[in-house]
Amino acid sequence: MSVAALNVKDLSVWFETESGRLQIVDNISFSIKAGETTGLVGESGCGKTMTAFAILGLLRASGARVESAAIEIGGRDISTLSAGQRRRVLGRDIAMVFQQPGAALDPVFTIGRQIAAVHRRHVGDGRSNTRRAMLDSLEQVGFGKPEKIAAAYPHELSGGMAQLAMIAMATVCKPAVLIADEPSTALDSGTRAVILQQIKRLQADHGTAILLISHDLSVIRQSCQNVMVMYCGRLLEVTDCQSLFSSPRHPYSAGLISCIPQISAVKPSGIITIPGRVPAPSALPPGCHFAPRCDRALSACVQSIPALETGNQRSNNSGVACFSPL
Amino acid sequence: MVTNIPQPGLPLLQVQALSLSFRRQEQVVDRVSFNLAAGRTLGLVGASGAGKSSIARAILHLIKPDAGNILFHGKNISSMDPGQLKEARRRIQIVFQEPSASLSPRRTVAQTLLEPLRHFAIGDSDYRQDRIRQTLQTVGLDADVLQRYPHQFSSGQQQRIAIARALVTNPDLLIADEAVSALDVSVQARILQLIQTLQTEHGIAFLFISHDLAVIRQVADEVAVMYRGQLLEHSPADRFFSRPAHPYSKALLAFASFDSSSQPPIGWLPAGHEPAGGSSACVYAGMCADTMPVCERLEPEYYKSQHKQQPHCVKCHLYNEEHANETWTEVN
Repeated sequence: MSVAALNVKDLSVWFETESGRLQIVDNISFSIKAGETTGLVGESGCGKTMTAFAILGLLRASGARVESAAIEIGGRDISTLSAGQRRRVLGRDIAMVFQQPGAALDPVFTIGRQIAAVHRRHVGDGRSNTRRAMLDSLEQVGFGKPEKIAAAYPHELSGGMAQLAMIAMATVCKPAVLIADEPSTALDSGTRAVILQQIKRLQADHGTAILLISHDLSVIRQSCQNVMVMYCGRLLEVTDCQSLFSSPRHPYSAGLISCIPQISAVKPSGIITIPGRVPAPSALPPGCHFAPRCDRALSACVQSIPALETGNQRSNNSGVACFSPL
Repeated sequence: MVTNIPQPGLPLLQVQALSLSFRRQEQVVDRVSFNLAAGRTLGLVGASGAGKSSIARAILHLIKPDAGNILFHGKNISSMDPGQLKEARRRIQIVFQEPSASLSPRRTVAQTLLEPLRHFAIGDSDYRQDRIRQTLQTVGLDADVLQRYPHQFSSGQQQRIAIARALVTNPDLLIADEAVSALDVSVQARILQLIQTLQTEHGIAFLFISHDLAVIRQVADEVAVMYRGQLLEHSPADRFFSRPAHPYSKALLAFASFDSSSQPPIGWLPAGHEPAGGSSACVYAGMCADTMPVCERLEPEYYKSQHKQQPHCVKCHLYNEEHANETWTEVN
């Protein structure tokens, strides 16, 4: 069996506060193979972005506590690296695309210069090679005239173009793993389709493993092979994309899917919602965190935490953390 | 205290050949016309930068049109005296995309909801307190939230507060500018539910701006599609979602469909790429799958068809009589 491109084992993130421990990410494990895309889906505040930051080791200065058995890229554990060693990995082996390109790009440098800086730091094989790599990466994300974009400042680009430039920057060193955090959320549907299409193309060309974080299930459906559904820092369901949408097993997954507005020939008479709302990390209910909102909850659900059983009948990689699955 | 006198027969809002530009250079809205009847919901859809929000701002008279008129209850907003404009603004309220940015972090919910009542000098102190409680109830919040600050709420609750602030003055028209775009699907569904209640129980008309057609489907009676400042199609919603007329509408629907695996056509690049054709061409000609030679040469007129007593307008050469298999007539 080949080594997974990204392997995360027993990752937890929490804050120590005066009023006690705030658990943000609760002991999650997953792995992504080269060339595959795994979606991480859940409502705002469920811990998706914190998971990404913890993988990259970006939470050190934030006061958050991070604990993991291992975070491996191509079999190499990066969770134990020093800050200096980590800087050599970020951008080269693993890179991230953020939700707000406008905030992630530096307004005072041209796009070309910012992309070139990444390549120079990690590859550094001379000015002309760096420039060629920079223009190539812009061309690969779909810009017909990369020189023009390279000379532009971030404010001269539309949101969609800036996001494509961000993807070019993240992929200039052809990392093995790409984390895309809501890469298309702020964009309209046409532009979103372009972004997702370009991410897929890059993946096909370089065999990148992608962790795609989104609260938008239609984005997940269009782009992922596997999906992880997260709620209050825990993974409730892990499965392949097709099974999730055709036959979700966790009641929460089913609820999320039924909330997606559909385009039907007849105007829908009512809108389906999930009752209640996401609890705050300071007031997590005991047992299964979703139990108070769940119409299938049993007495066991409020007493103990259902484990995410993987390797069940459906396939090796799927599982559901529920005492009363669908 | 607050009474809105409906004028039968007259559309609530009339937008007539509205043109807007920034610094008199960039045309952001180009001769857009539509009517909105009382109690109806118009879904305004289009890509970012199509001019949707600029129309909303012009309706509130926050930006001045270069040309064209906006009539509210039959009166031109541009020629209203200050008193009339203030009254119009009481009756036209807006809800923005990002609730955390549109609520003041330093004001409690009570202060936030009281301000519009004070500004428009509505009622006395007792009436105001009643009205605030009543409005909170309408949007599904308890009265015990009054002394709390925006940061103490989830984004869905914040959006309810923003909607309550808009509703407190008892408007006839609510402009929702991407009001649910920033929310999670589960939260979005509940806000859409609230909007449906406001439509049916309170008879409020909505100008519902969104780039998400699936969301528009849940709430709109009519759909208007914008592209690069122009209105390309205006149609009853049922008709739009079953038989879109304009090639751009068809493309939008194809990408928006949740089950679709359709990919954007080559050359469908993010905004900022200029399509081919001069100013005399159809704005969509460079991107259109059905481009004909005439599209590069001549700007299309609006063609109109009747559907259940409601007009369906489309700005496309395909609906010139010579090409169409349905009766579309040119609008003068």
